[in-house]
Amino acid sequence: MKTTKIYEGSHQWIMFGRDEGKPSNIVDTNQYVVRTANRCLLLDPGGAELFAPMMAAVLHHAPVDQITDLFASHQDPDVISSLGLWDQALTNAKLHAPAVWEGFLRHYSCESIEYVPIPDNGGTIKLESVELQIIPAHYLHSSGNFHVYDPQAKILMSGDVGAAIEAPDTPVFVDNFAAHVEKMRYWHQRWMPSNQAKRVWIERVRNLDIDILAPQHGRMFKGDDVKRFLDWFDALQVGIAV
Amino acid sequence: MTNQTKSQFIAVASITSELSAVMVVAKEISLAAANAKAIAFRAGDKAKGFQPITDFINELAKETIELVTNINIYALVLYRLTVDEFQKTTAYNKFELAAKMAGDAVYAKSMQGPVDHARLSMQDCQRQFKRDVSQLLGQLEAVMHHARAARVIAANSRIEASQAGEYLQSLQAVAESVDKAAHTIHDNVQRCRIALSIYRNS
Repeated sequence: MKTTKIYEGSHQWIMFGRDEGKPSNIVDTNQYVVRTANRCLLLDPGGAELFAPMMAAVLHHAPVDQITDLFASHQDPDVISSLGLWDQALTNAKLHAPAVWEGFLRHYSCESIEYVPIPDNGGTIKLESVELQIIPAHYLHSSGNFHVYDPQAKILMSGDVGAAIEAPDTPVFVDNFAAHVEKMRYWHQRWMPSNQAKRVWIERVRNLDIDILAPQHGRMFKGDDVKRFLDWFDALQVGIAV
Repeated sequence: MTNQTKSQFIAVASITSELSAVMVVAKEISLAAANAKAIAFRAGDKAKGFQPITDFINELAKETIELVTNINIYALVLYRLTVDEFQKTTAYNKFELAAKMAGDAVYAKSMQGPVDHARLSMQDCQRQFKRDVSQLLGQLEAVMHHARAARVIAANSRIEASQAGEYLQSLQAVAESVDKAAHTIHDNVQRCRIALSIYRNS
């Protein structure tokens, strides 16, 4: 599992991905960790197949008992089907996930972890002195969907928005936006169902000061590429399957 | 999923399937008892010896239905336990793998607690499963006992039927159907016992 520190300040953001041991027939995912002095938040911790390498990678940064929070942007298996395993490994943890998906996510088993339902209008996750904002991203692509914004680190974890399916050894940041566009086009047109939802999200996100846009698949965007991505997405027609 | 786990799932699922067939047959015996009672009543003195047997057949069918109902509830518990054991075993294996993959990570040792806990939970589940299987086998033995009793009753019914003059054929048919049903119950329950016996507490 490749580990990349993407922010270091009063707290850290670490990106995990490009797992060499991943079965070739499952989609590659990026997992993110926000680490404060005594706590650790796992954002979209991944599928059940990824649990062991992910846990092993996290142990380089935090002990098990300091993994106190999980966040699931939505209900997909590549996002959170590892929940049943985290549930048995963690004795004192919370899962922050869309309220509308609670009864569904519990199918993965969530007995010892406390389910903290996120209402439709979002909320916050407090991690010691760090306050993260939960940004609504409904219908992008899931009907109950959230992203996480850190105003201090200026990072937006954007779930499936900005995602691209690429080769396993792909760099972690976009280095040529024009060339990257074609890797994202079909994904966004096919997976994102609503132009209206897209416009509302873009309007909301343009008000945030973002240095890094961090999707759950593919490469992250930094600096001017963030604005380039928002402009490109704004102009894109989505929901093409109907 | 290991072959052992797959076999365990299949064994537990097969109990429910076999027992639902037993339930159908037990209901058939109950029906045969009601039928026999009506014939014996019409036959009057000619089937005097047959009348108490019909009550006995009915009682036996009722008890079998009750037993099978309870066993089905128990089989459901056993199924849930199998799922639980599967989840605990998966977790234990994944935790061990994570600990191994963590290698010399700064916090690798913190994984030992979850590994130990998962191993104990898994072993608890395995013990509980064996205990429950032993109890279920005991209950299945009770059903076998009923099936054997039904066969004895069927034999007695044949003797009594032979005294029933023109009702001989009808009453013999009742005896045959009880005997056949007892056979089916015996065979189905025996298959349950064979499927489960490898998991019993030694």
